[in-house]
Amino acid sequence: MPENETIQGLDLDEYKYDFVTEVDPVYRAQRGLSEEVVRQISQHKEEPDWMLDFRLKALEVYESKPMPKWGGDLDGLEQVLDEIYFYVRPQDRMQHSWEDVPDEIKDTFEKLGIPEAEREVLAGVGAQYESEMVYHSLREEWEKQGVIFDSIEDGLKNHPELFREHFGTIIPTADNKFSAMNSAVWSGGSFVYIPKGVSLDTPLQAYFRVNQERMGQFERTLIIVDEGAQAHYIEGCTAPVYSTESFHSGVIEIVVKKNARFRYTTIQNWSNNMYNLVTQRAIVEEGANMEWLDGNLGSKLTMKYPSCYLMGEGAHGEILSIAYSGDGQHQDTGGKVVHAAPHTTSSIVSKSISKGHGRSTYRGLLKVHEGAHHARSNVECDALLINETSRTDTYPYIEIEENDANVGHEASVSRIGEEQLFYLTSRGIPEDEAMAMIVRGFIEPIAKELPLEYAVELNRLIELEMEGSVG
Amino acid sequence: MVDMVITESQATQGVTEAFNAASVELLTKGEPAWLREGREQAWSVYEQTPMPNTRLEEWRYTDLTRLLQLASLRLPEVEVGPGSASTWPDRLRETTEQNREAAGHIVLIDGHVVHADIDPVLAEQGVILDSLHDALTLHPELVKEHLGSAVSADDGKLEALNMAMWADGIFVYVPSAVRLDLPIRVTRWISQAGAAYFSRVLIVAEAQSQVSYVDEVVSDDFDTQTLKSSAVELVAGAGAVLQYVTVQRAGSGVFVHSAQRTLAERDARIDTLNVGLGGSVHRVDLNAKLLGPGANSEMLGLYFGDGNQHFDFNTSQDHTEPNTGSDLLYKGALDGASRAVFRGIIRVLPGAQRTDAYQTNRNLLLSSGARADSLPNLEIEADDVKCSHGATVGELDTEAKFYLMSRGLDKVQAERLVVLGFLGEVLSRLPLGGVIEKVTGAIEEKLSQHG
Repeated sequence: MPENETIQGLDLDEYKYDFVTEVDPVYRAQRGLSEEVVRQISQHKEEPDWMLDFRLKALEVYESKPMPKWGGDLDGLEQVLDEIYFYVRPQDRMQHSWEDVPDEIKDTFEKLGIPEAEREVLAGVGAQYESEMVYHSLREEWEKQGVIFDSIEDGLKNHPELFREHFGTIIPTADNKFSAMNSAVWSGGSFVYIPKGVSLDTPLQAYFRVNQERMGQFERTLIIVDEGAQAHYIEGCTAPVYSTESFHSGVIEIVVKKNARFRYTTIQNWSNNMYNLVTQRAIVEEGANMEWLDGNLGSKLTMKYPSCYLMGEGAHGEILSIAYSGDGQHQDTGGKVVHAAPHTTSSIVSKSISKGHGRSTYRGLLKVHEGAHHARSNVECDALLINETSRTDTYPYIEIEENDANVGHEASVSRIGEEQLFYLTSRGIPEDEAMAMIVRGFIEPIAKELPLEYAVELNRLIELEMEGSVG
Repeated sequence: MVDMVITESQATQGVTEAFNAASVELLTKGEPAWLREGREQAWSVYEQTPMPNTRLEEWRYTDLTRLLQLASLRLPEVEVGPGSASTWPDRLRETTEQNREAAGHIVLIDGHVVHADIDPVLAEQGVILDSLHDALTLHPELVKEHLGSAVSADDGKLEALNMAMWADGIFVYVPSAVRLDLPIRVTRWISQAGAAYFSRVLIVAEAQSQVSYVDEVVSDDFDTQTLKSSAVELVAGAGAVLQYVTVQRAGSGVFVHSAQRTLAERDARIDTLNVGLGGSVHRVDLNAKLLGPGANSEMLGLYFGDGNQHFDFNTSQDHTEPNTGSDLLYKGALDGASRAVFRGIIRVLPGAQRTDAYQTNRNLLLSSGARADSLPNLEIEADDVKCSHGATVGELDTEAKFYLMSRGLDKVQAERLVVLGFLGEVLSRLPLGGVIEKVTGAIEEKLSQHG
C-alpha cells in the first residue's frame, strides 16, 4: 500500500489566520531592546516608580544571562530580536464596550471567529492586539460578586496591593532569560481575581493577536484564585504569516489557593514564523487543583513547559499537552511538576504528531522533595510519526528524594499502523477517512477536554486535509 | 619519580604528581611505536579536555569536583603478587573458588595477572585469553587492530586518562565459528589504599562465534579514596554472540569508573550486565552501537546502594541501521542515604527503519534518606519504529510484604524476599552459571544490615 501518499494528506498546516489588517498604531517604540525602550513603555503606562525599577533591574538580569543552549535552535534569535518592535500601542485606551473598539481591530477579531454570539456565552472576554489589551469585558453578574477580569495594566492601577503581593513572586525575574526579558518589557495580558467560594460556570477567554510585521508581544498574566473558588481561563493566539520572524514571550503566574480549582487552556496557533518562548507556572495550595491544557499547533519554535508547584497537602496538578509539528516547526513542550507537600498527586499526559520535517520534543521534570510523602505521579508520552523525515524526542527528568512516593513515566513512539488501516479499509471505510479516524483516536483523550469550538476546529482541520489525499 | 612543579591551571585540568606527561612516558617503555603514540595523543586530549562539571548534561547529578580527589591519588606500587593461591587474601580465594566451572580464568592482584588458565581444547582452536601486555607481544596485529577502536581518548576526560595511563588488562579473542560453552572468569583484587588502577578489557568475537565473560572485582574497605578505572571494548562480528557481565563488589572508598562500548555487526548479539554493589562511587558510561541489520543488544543493570553510596549509569543505544534491536532494563534498590542516577538515551538515526528499542529503569527506595534520579530519553528520527521507555521510583510493595508476613514470615524476611524478587528479574535475563547465586548472596548480606 502506498501508505505515505495517503499519510501525506494529514495536514494541520493550512493556516487560515494569515491576513493583515491596516491599522496605524498610536505609538511605536524604536526597534530592538534598550533601556530607553523600557523607560518609554513604563512612561506610556504611567507606572509607579517601583515598576520602572522592577523593569530596569529585569533588563540587567536579561542582559547578564546567556542564551539557553538546550531546547530548540535559538541561533538566529539574537538577530531577530535586534529587528523587532518591542512595544506597539494600537489605540489610546482600552475599551469595555465592543462598539467602541476601532473597526479595523474589531474586524480582525470577527475574522478570527469571535462573533458576538460566542462572546455572550463566556463569563468574560479579553482581546490583545499587538502590545496592549484593546478590549476587556466581564459579565455583570460576576462583577457584582467581586470577580476581577481586567488588563494587567488596569490590575496594577486599580488593585495595587493585590497586584504587588503576587506579581513576580511565582516566576521570579531571574527564573530564565526570557522571564527576565518579559519582566523588562511586559505589556498586555490579563489580571484575574476570583474571590473566595465563587465558581464561574463559563470560561474567561483571552485572544492574542499579532498583526504587524517584526512584532514582539510580551503578555503578562497574573491570576489569583482564592480559597474554594473555581474558574477556567482560555487563551488563543494567532498572527499573519510574514517572511521575517516574530517573537512572543509570555509570563503567566497563577496562585490557586486552598481547595480552589482552576484550569488554564492554551490554543497556540501562531503563524510559522513565530518564536514562542513562554514561562507558565502555578502555585497550588492545600487541597487545590490546577490543570493546564496546552495545545501547540502553530509557531516556528515553541519552548513552553507549564508547571505546577504543589505546595500544600493534598494538592493536585495536571498537565495535558498536545503538539503538532509540520515542516519547519519544532514544538519543544512538556510540563513540570514539583511535589513539595505530602499526599500530593499529579499526572502529565502528552501527545504529539510530527509530520514532514516537523520535530516534536517532550521535555519534562517530575520532582518529589524529601518530606512529600505519599506523593503519586504518572507521566505518559505518546508520539505519532507520519513520515520518515519526522522526528520526535523525549527528555523526562525524574528526581525523587522521598521513599514513600510512587512515580512512573511511560513513553511510546509509533506510526500509523498498517494493520489498523487495513482493518478499517476492509470494513469499507475509505483510506483518507480511516487515516483521519486513527489520528482523531490518538488525540481524542486530549481533544475531548478542549472547549467545543476548538475540538471541532481540530477535527475539521484533520478531515479537511484528508480529502482527496488518496492517490 | 621525576620531581615536577604543577601549575594551578594544570592542576584544575587534572595534571597531578601521579598523572602527568612524565608518568605516561614511563609507561611507554618497551612498547611499540603505535601504542606509544596512542598514549601520548590520549594524554594531550586529557590535558586539553576540561574536567567534566555538573553543567554538562551527562554529569548533572555526579559532581566530579566533589566526588573525585584526583590530586591525592598515586600510581600503585609495582609488586609482583603471589602466584600461589594459598597466599592470596581470603576474600579473593573464596571468590575464585566459586568460579570452577569456566572455559578459562584470570586472576589479577593490583592490576597484575597472577594466574591464567584456559581450556587446552579451546586454546588449540585459537581462542586467546591473555593479559593485554602479553597479547601485545604474542598477537601484536590483533591488539593493534582493535585496541581503542571502541573506547577512545576522544570519548571524554576519564576515557582519555585511561587510554594514556592503562597498566594492564585482559585480551580475549575467539576465532570464527568457535563457540565457548562455559564463561571466561576474571577475578580482581585491589589492595593499595589511595592508588589509581587503570585497566582495559578487549574482547573480540569473530563471525558466528560465541563467548561469555564474567569480570568481578573485590577488595577490602579503604579509608582513602582509591580509583578503579576501566575501559571495556566489546566487538562482535557478523552473527557472533557475546555476553559480558561485570560484578562490582569493591570495598568502601573505591571510586569506580567504567567506560564500555559494544560494537555489534550484522546479526550479532551483545548482551551486557552491570552489577553495582560495592564502592563509594560507581559510574558507568555504556554505549551500544548496533551497526548492522539484525544486530541486537540486551543491556541489563542491577544495583543495591546503602550508606552514602552513589551510583550513576549513563547509557545510550545507537541504532544506525535498519532492523536492529535493543532492550535495556536497569533496576536498583537504595537504602540508607545512597543515591542512584540513571540517564539513558535511545537514538534512532534517519533511515534506521524497523528499529525495536526499549528502555526501562525501576528504582526501589528503602529509606527516607535515599534518592533516585531517572532520565530515560528518546531521540527518534525514523518513523517505522517501535520504541518505548519507562521509569518508576517507588517504595517497597507493601501488599506483597504483608502477604508474606501473613504467611508467617517476619518483617525483615518479607522485605528481603520482596527486594530479591524485584532485583531478581534482571539476573534471570542473563543466567550465567554462578552469577545469580553470587549476586543474590551479596544482596542478602547488604539487606541483613538494613534496619
